[in-house]
Amino acid sequence: MKDSLVLLGRVPAHPDSRCWYLAWNPAGTLLASCGGDRRIRIWGTEGDSWICKSVLSEGHQRTVRKVAWSPCGNYLASASFDATTCIWKKNQDDFECVTTLEGHENEVKSVAWAPSGNLLATCSRDKSVWVWEVDEEDEYECVSVLNSHTQDVKHVIWHPSQELLASASYDDTVKLYREEEDDWVCCATLEGHESTVWSLAFDPSGQRLASCSDDRTVRIWRQYLPGNEQGVACSGTDPSWKCICTLSGFHSRTIYDVAWCQLTGALATACGDDAIRVFEENPSSDPQQPTFSLTAHLPQAHSQDVNCVAWNPKEPGLLASCSDDGEVAFWKYQRPEGL
Amino acid sequence: MAGSQDMFDAIVMADERFHGEGFQEGYVEGSRLGVTEGRQHGTLHGAKIGSEIGCYQGFAFAWKYLLHSCTTEKDSKKMKVLEALIGMIEKFPYDDPTYDRLHEDLDRIRGKFKQLCSLLNVQPDFKIRAEGSGLSF
Repeated sequence: MKDSLVLLGRVPAHPDSRCWYLAWNPAGTLLASCGGDRRIRIWGTEGDSWICKSVLSEGHQRTVRKVAWSPCGNYLASASFDATTCIWKKNQDDFECVTTLEGHENEVKSVAWAPSGNLLATCSRDKSVWVWEVDEEDEYECVSVLNSHTQDVKHVIWHPSQELLASASYDDTVKLYREEEDDWVCCATLEGHESTVWSLAFDPSGQRLASCSDDRTVRIWRQYLPGNEQGVACSGTDPSWKCICTLSGFHSRTIYDVAWCQLTGALATACGDDAIRVFEENPSSDPQQPTFSLTAHLPQAHSQDVNCVAWNPKEPGLLASCSDDGEVAFWKYQRPEGL
Repeated sequence: MAGSQDMFDAIVMADERFHGEGFQEGYVEGSRLGVTEGRQHGTLHGAKIGSEIGCYQGFAFAWKYLLHSCTTEKDSKKMKVLEALIGMIEKFPYDDPTYDRLHEDLDRIRGKFKQLCSLLNVQPDFKIRAEGSGLSF
């Protein structure tokens, strides 16, 4: 099992600081990293090695917690503890901060672009989730402020093809939102985790959602449409989400991130026990009650907490990870034979 | 003999009887105090919510007046959000403190107010409460 995850390279991305988050551009050619040093770095390959192509240092006064590429790959959004979100425009290797979104009362924890590129979501320790609309002139307008969570909101992601937004919070729940008559509304609350939900990932079809938590489990939720064959109750026209699998007993500390490969369906986790793990769904298991096998486990992937794992969107099996040790590591994952 | 038996019973049971009477008196007294305290608490919190919503309403009315003569597309968007906020404030059930979605509706009003501030590019320069949402009065 050890050979299924091979180290390709390691870079001191944010020396003497923490590296918080990674994001591949849609073409899979660039990786953005952000950290406690208030900087964002853009990484690309030259020959076999990974080199820093740009440093985005002006823009934030405090830790940059998360970064996200627009679906077109020409913009990068960064969420910071300075309560702002910056939008950077890419001109070849240079990045220019074109807009700063203000409005959150304190630390912005996460940012995500909708698949259309016309909507952006941000979330904060102020317990709110904001939805922004982008117009043709690159101007951002707030279309909704959602106060559904009762605590710090840790993460936001969009459904891969629909305008459905998901958020994870310190209140142990996941909430889903959709548009309704000029405003956005919370249309589902996923309860089950026993502690903070740190991150979320949709599967390639968008029918299933993985959530990871401080309770050391990963939960897989499945969408059931009204009138489904399985007889899962729905209220009104909204689909309902049911937990169909819990991965417990694998992680010994908080799970900070989960990434569902859009190409292969492999599920990777970043854990506070310094390890990276990869799971694969057992093909013969019941889709209503799937089972997953641990196919890779690298106990000392980093020397401190692993904060993020990110699958390359174009190259199957290429995984990037980052840690409190300030480093970014690149891995080649090979699915073990016989699965 | 029957009488003295009753007398002994009365002595033996006195503890229980006085306990019961004491409980009743205490219960009445406690209820009275509780109602007073609850009323004060409710008045205080009701006034806080009222003054918060009143502030949003005044803000909304003032901006409605200011935007009255503006007719660009951007302004009409602001106006729409403004009207939505006023609508929510008007619909809020001020007479029914037991309304089960009171806090949910209040949070929606707060959200709409923040959205409006963002669209108007106005910093709500009110002090932010420790617990986070809304204003402090």
